[in-house]
This record gives sequence, C-alpha cells and structure tokens, in this order.
Amino acid sequence: MPAGHGLRSRTRDSFSRAFRKKGTIALSTYLRTYHIGEYVDIKVNGAIHKGMPHKFYHGRTGQVWNVTKRAIGVEVNKQVGNRIIKKRIHVRIEHVQPSRCTEEFKLRKKKNDQLKAEAKARGEVISTKRQPGAPKPGFMVEGATLETVTPIPYDVVNDLKGGY
Amino acid sequence: PFVKAQKGKAYFKRFQVKFKRRREGKTDYRARIRLINQDKNKYNTPKYRFVVRFTNKDIIAQIVSASIAGDMVLASAYAHELPCYGLEVGLTNYAAAYCTGLLLARQVLKMLEMDEEYKGNAEATGEDYSVELGEGRRPFRALLDVGLLRTTTGNCVFGALKTRSPTWISGWGLDIPHSEKRFAGFSKDSKQLDAEVHRKYIYGGHVAGYMRNLMDDEPEKYQSHFAEYIKRGIEPDGIEEMYKKVHAAIRADPTPKKSEKQPPKEHKRYNLKKLTYEQRKERLIERLNALNSAAGNGDEEDEDYE
Repeated sequence: MPAGHGLRSRTRDSFSRAFRKKGTIALSTYLRTYHIGEYVDIKVNGAIHKGMPHKFYHGRTGQVWNVTKRAIGVEVNKQVGNRIIKKRIHVRIEHVQPSRCTEEFKLRKKKNDQLKAEAKARGEVISTKRQPGAPKPGFMVEGATLETVTPIPYDVVNDLKGGY
Repeated sequence: PFVKAQKGKAYFKRFQVKFKRRREGKTDYRARIRLINQDKNKYNTPKYRFVVRFTNKDIIAQIVSASIAGDMVLASAYAHELPCYGLEVGLTNYAAAYCTGLLLARQVLKMLEMDEEYKGNAEATGEDYSVELGEGRRPFRALLDVGLLRTTTGNCVFGALKTRSPTWISGWGLDIPHSEKRFAGFSKDSKQLDAEVHRKYIYGGHVAGYMRNLMDDEPEKYQSHFAEYIKRGIEPDGIEEMYKKVHAAIRADPTPKKSEKQPPKEHKRYNLKKLTYEQRKERLIERLNALNSAAGNGDEEDEDYE
C-alpha cells in the first residue's frame, strides 16, 4: 500500500529531537517574550505535540503578528503557484526561537547612529554606507628567484631507456 | 574471575546526562515549567513563587521570580532568623513554619508598601482565610512551590512530626491559591477542615501535648528530647503564649536584621597559587630569553619574543 501524505508525513528526521538532547526542555524557551513585529524562526520541537506548525513551516522565518497566552502568531511567506502568499499561523512557543536575521542590522544601525553623532560633534560629514568588496591591492612578490625554463631537443635514446 | 565490562565506550558515548539540578535531585522540572510559564500576552510581568524548603535544621521561605539569567529572589525568610523575634527552639516544626511564612509575607508586603492594606488574619484561628480585595491594589499573588515534598494532610494523624507540611498562606495577607484539603485537621471522611485542630498545630499545641505526655510517662526521655526547651524554661502551657508573642513581634517589624560580619580571616596557603594567563606568558618570555642567552652567547642576538 502506498505511503500516505498525512500531516506529519516525511517528518521522521526533521521533527525528531537532536542526539543527546531529548527529554526535558530548557526553561528559557518559556521565559522568552515576543513582541509584535519581531522576527522569529520556526523550529518544530517534536516533544511538544500541541501547537505544532505544518512541516512546511519548519525552518521558515517570519514576523510576529499576534501574541496569545501560550502561542505566537507568525506571518510566513509561502510560494503558491506563481505568487507568494503571506500566511498567518499560530505556533506554540516551544516551536519558536528569536531570529538573529536582524541582529547584524540592528548593531550596525546603533553603531552608525553613534558615528554620526560623533561626526556631528566634530562638524564633519561622514558616509556610513557599506562598500562592496573591492579588488585586492597590488603587491610585490617577495623572495622570488627567476628560473628560466627552455625546451630541450628530443632525445630518442634516453627516452626509450625506461621501457621498451 | 573475569568480569565482562558492562558499560563500554559506546555506552558512555551515547549517554545523555539529565539537567544538572535533576542529577542533584533538587529540582522537579515538570513542576517548574508549569509554575514559571507566564502567559505570553502578559509579556514581562513576573510570576512569583512562594518557595518553601525544609532542611534538617532550618526552614527557607522565599518569594522568587524566574528569568533567563537566573531566578531573582524578591524576599526571603529563614527559620534561623526567628531567634530575633523570641523563638529559639523547635525551628523546623509546624508552628515554626507558620512563623517563617508570616515573616516572609509581612516582609514582602512592607517592601511593596501594602502592609497597611492587607493585614491578614491578626489572630490565627486555623480557619481557611481568604484575602479580601482591598480598596486600592490587588493582593500580592504568589504560587506555592513545594519542591520535592510529598503533600500529605498536615501532621495531625501521625503526630510524629516526620512529614514536613508547610503551612500555607492567606492568613498572612498574600494571595496564594490553595485548598484546605491538606491542612492539619482536615478530615477525609467528613471532607471538612476542623479549624480547632489546625489552630492547635499553628500554636505548637501538638508539641505541648507531647511534652505533657513525656513529662508524665517518661521523664528521662523528656529531659533528653526537650533539653533545649527546659534550658530556656519553656513549659508546655507557655508554648501558645510564646508563639503569640513571636507572631506579634513579627508583625511589628518584619524587616531582616543585618548582622555585623567580620572580613574572613586570611588562611595560610598550603598549595601553590595558580598563575594568571599574563603571568604565565611573562614566565615563558623570561625562560626563552634565558635559554637564548645561555645557548646563543656567541650569536650576540637578543631575541625578544613579543
């Protein structure tokens, strides 16, 4: 009989708990707070059966649009046919982690604000734009000895000495 | 005889240790998850636990809220603080537990400036007392956390004081959800709490009764068992009075007393002190320099390693 296409089909590995990380869940998952607009990663915790998202959303990142007693509403992009729909799902906290996708951006924002404030104090105008990677600068090769290689005339006798 | 090794390398490679506090047998994580879990739509509102733990000689009562960095203790009261209020003996019995809880509750209310509003039961009657809503702020809410205790009904039936039942709340002005089913004096058959019995326990009546029994039947055992009581001249009839005075003293001033602590004495070091990372690096540089100067004396090169 054929393999079914049930809700949790093909999730044997993705929903299973990591090696030597089974059992009690660390309490920090329950102590985290989420605000509307924050980015979260969805990672299913196979030990908690309630409030599990569908396997499609495992590994997706979305924004929080709702906060309820034990779950978070996450808005995730899903491609359906020729368009991308923003899907709103509710997921229990155990299957959600705070996303670090905006972490680098937030840090950079803070640093830029600081730099701009300093520059303003000095009266300068600075550009905080990121520059793409430039070609490497030129350099002299150190400790190079020149060895000129020239072709030698073909010597039949010597070449056949190896094997014939 | 050759014994086959039971736990090989493979066993240890696959072994998953339990959480540290579970290995130590100190925390029940199943209960802890349920106690700490706060509704997400309440965001950072702390959920306070009224933690009661009994050691062999002490009672620890704390109001704790959880955070990712670690639990934060709002206030704490210990049975070994009770001597300040006039209770020096029997520091882990039912009555002492009542006193410690009272101390903690009054301390918290004073800290939050709610102590005028929520006076609680001025005279402990043993009845189930629920905090009534005051005019302004709602009462301080905490959830009872017994840890790994077995929650049996009071000590009443056995009288041997082996089971440590913590006395619960609301007589003190805190709102702690509970049921009177486990109070000493609750009868399973009639499904009712006998307030008289509970009151007796709060005032150490069961201890007094035992004292009287021993005085009549086994005077030598009485001498050895209640030696501390006798030394302080505490009679079985005076026990209730004593606890009443302690309750009053606690209500009057629940703030913890700070004791003067001398700085710890310097002890002689018997082993070498470990060097810091910088010190080790310096030592290495010195040794290399010494080696180079000894070996390469003819080189006249002073290799300084940076």
